[in-house]
Amino acid sequence: MGLIKIFTKAKCPKCPAVKEIGTELKKEGVPVFNYDLDTIDGLAEASFYSVLSTPSIIIEDEEERELISWRGVVPTLQEVKQYLFRDIS
Amino acid sequence: MQTVIEMKGDRQEFKEEVETTDMALFVRTSDESMHDWDRQRIVDALLRETYVDLDTAKEIAREVEDLIATSKIKMVTAPLIRELVDTKLIEKGLEQARKMHTRLGMPLYDVDQLILHPNKENANVPHGPEATNLTLAERIKKEYALLSVFSQEIADAHMRGDIHLHDLGFVDRPYCSGQSLEYIKRFGLSLPNSIAMAKPAKHPEVLLAHMVKFAAALQSHFAGAIGWDSVNLFFAPYIVGMSDQELEQLAQMMIFEFSQQAVARGGQAIFTDLNLYWEVPKHFEDVPAIGPGGELTGKTYSDYIKEAQRFAWALFDVYQEGDGSGRPFFFPKPMVHITEKFFSTAGHMDFLHHICDVASEKGNTYFVFDRGETAKISECCRLSFKLDQTDLEDARQPWKMRYCALQNVTLNLPRIAYLSKGDDTQLFSKISEFVEMAVKAHLEKKRFIERLLSLGEKGPLALLVMDRDGSPYLRMHRASFLVGMVGLNELVQIHTGQEMHQSKQAFKFGLKVIAHMKLLVDKFSQRYGMHFVLEQTPAESTAYRFAKLDLKYHSPKSGHIVKGDISRGEVYYTNSTYLNNSAVLNPIERVRQEGLFHPLIEAGALTHVWLGEARPSKASLANFVIKTFQRTQNDQIAFSPEFTTCNLCHRTSRGLRSSCAYCGSEDVDGITRITGYFTKISSWNKGKLGELRDRYRNQAFLTEKEEGIVLNY
Repeated sequence: MGLIKIFTKAKCPKCPAVKEIGTELKKEGVPVFNYDLDTIDGLAEASFYSVLSTPSIIIEDEEERELISWRGVVPTLQEVKQYLFRDIS
Repeated sequence: MQTVIEMKGDRQEFKEEVETTDMALFVRTSDESMHDWDRQRIVDALLRETYVDLDTAKEIAREVEDLIATSKIKMVTAPLIRELVDTKLIEKGLEQARKMHTRLGMPLYDVDQLILHPNKENANVPHGPEATNLTLAERIKKEYALLSVFSQEIADAHMRGDIHLHDLGFVDRPYCSGQSLEYIKRFGLSLPNSIAMAKPAKHPEVLLAHMVKFAAALQSHFAGAIGWDSVNLFFAPYIVGMSDQELEQLAQMMIFEFSQQAVARGGQAIFTDLNLYWEVPKHFEDVPAIGPGGELTGKTYSDYIKEAQRFAWALFDVYQEGDGSGRPFFFPKPMVHITEKFFSTAGHMDFLHHICDVASEKGNTYFVFDRGETAKISECCRLSFKLDQTDLEDARQPWKMRYCALQNVTLNLPRIAYLSKGDDTQLFSKISEFVEMAVKAHLEKKRFIERLLSLGEKGPLALLVMDRDGSPYLRMHRASFLVGMVGLNELVQIHTGQEMHQSKQAFKFGLKVIAHMKLLVDKFSQRYGMHFVLEQTPAESTAYRFAKLDLKYHSPKSGHIVKGDISRGEVYYTNSTYLNNSAVLNPIERVRQEGLFHPLIEAGALTHVWLGEARPSKASLANFVIKTFQRTQNDQIAFSPEFTTCNLCHRTSRGLRSSCAYCGSEDVDGITRITGYFTKISSWNKGKLGELRDRYRNQAFLTEKEEGIVLNY
């Protein structure tokens, strides 16, 4: 199964919605990593993936290769699941 | 003023208790007058320059007089007397007074060396009497800066090589500046202290003359680069109706004028950036155009796109030809902005091929990438920023768009790693300490410049306080304060055991360091209401200086870390956040990886693609540029070929050679890019020579095909 990286910032109106998606997926056993761009690790990781806007979601395979990303937009939980599901299949 | 005191007659005359007036000493001054020896002069100087009390001053003067009287010296100089006074101040524990009483100057030997041998700190300064004057003045101002402008903590950190305060010899001016031609188009050329005032230019040649003179005036008020925004667009209203031949002549004049400013400050060419656009930048589209005589033409800049494009094209025609010997022009540097709009503007592919042809042939072109739909502008030091609402209002009156960076302070990142001994917490806390030091240095410099500016039009920075449009020429509230870095690659190497190109983990650690620095400068910006930004310091001599100092203070560890050749003394650290110069990396991968740092670094981010003697086809470079724009975050790239120019037959060939390819003469000079500009290799410092030997010239990625040499990636 792939893993999910979520990039957020404290002062970002759309971020809570994405965090919620992360929480939901975590409950279902998906490995979710949260990165806050106001922290060193968060900003460094965001730079590595060229994440320039928040919120952003990146789905990766086990070797940390990017499969799909949503940058500066909020997908529905369903959409994210679709891609995760596709990856699993 | 050099003062010499000669002792007349037999020294035996000077007994311990002789009164000052009895001493047969003459003070010979350089203003060709003679003064009698007067002990009171020491007292006066101490009271004027320090806070010592009258009794102490008298006591010191008497003691110094005794020392001179009983010594065997035949001639005493004023610096010697001053040093003797300083010794007495030290003996009495008056350290602060000694500091205030210090004499600035240089040993005879050093002046002799300077006059006879070239200065290699800045390859842009030629060797000659005017350059010597510049260096001498710089040396004194540097000492002044370290003693008087900066606190001891900051000055010591600079001397130790924890940080580097750039251009200390120009401490009484801001660092670099970004200009708008609209200012001189609207207000003409009216400089403080100038004996004649010129009204706004009516003809393109006159506008060019104003631009060049204003640039020279600015050069004497700023330490570094002078950048000009949208040059081809702002010239456009003046070139309506000009024939191709006339336009070519104008383009040639512009480039030669700026490249032959060897009569400017210290014989140093003005470090000029010309920002050029193929399209009309969005924020200037509806701006009323200023034309001949400073009058509005009744049109907007969108109406001048054809003229602007013709002028940009003509400038590159001149770059392509090179100078009289076919060498690339060292200055002015053409910075072409590649934007989303560039790709939707008619003729962009032809222009891209044209500027790529120049990049391959001569290397001049800088490709500056402004991605996204947000309006951006380039200041000096490749500092670019997004325009907010107030900037967009300024853009309606482009003469207001004047920017500057007040100072550049660079951190020695490998030093931090040596000190931290592999401990993460130590490392990040030391980075914070070093950044804080840089911020403190900026506050001190800002205070000093503000003091000079407060002297107004009678002060030394009269040009920067002149007010033609309701605000001073130097808009302090828009000033930036640069925090640079050298040797991120070596910091990572010392701390993790691997260089950044060697593993993803090491690379990510590098990003973490810069992310930390970025968050810190943002925090300090908020705290002080100032604009602190990270910069990729060009570090022409800093990368060498830091490496040398670390070999001294952090041996033996540093001996395994510094790059270059220790046996030749050609040592250096990798510039800023660059990957190892010698690493064999696919060029697009280098551009992509180095570009990941660029969003964190607001000023001066650039990747060099070294070409060696290869001359790739324009089509392959154009593809490379497009791919860089579309698939990376890289802010700017430049392709750098190498040349050999013959001093005998004055012809220029490709590649670095020990003898001329045409006539076989060994009297040749190598030419290539040192940091952000081209220059002769013979003027380079040892650190840069070491780097030149290491540069990977992409040999494995250049192949000969039917259409010519292709840069593969």
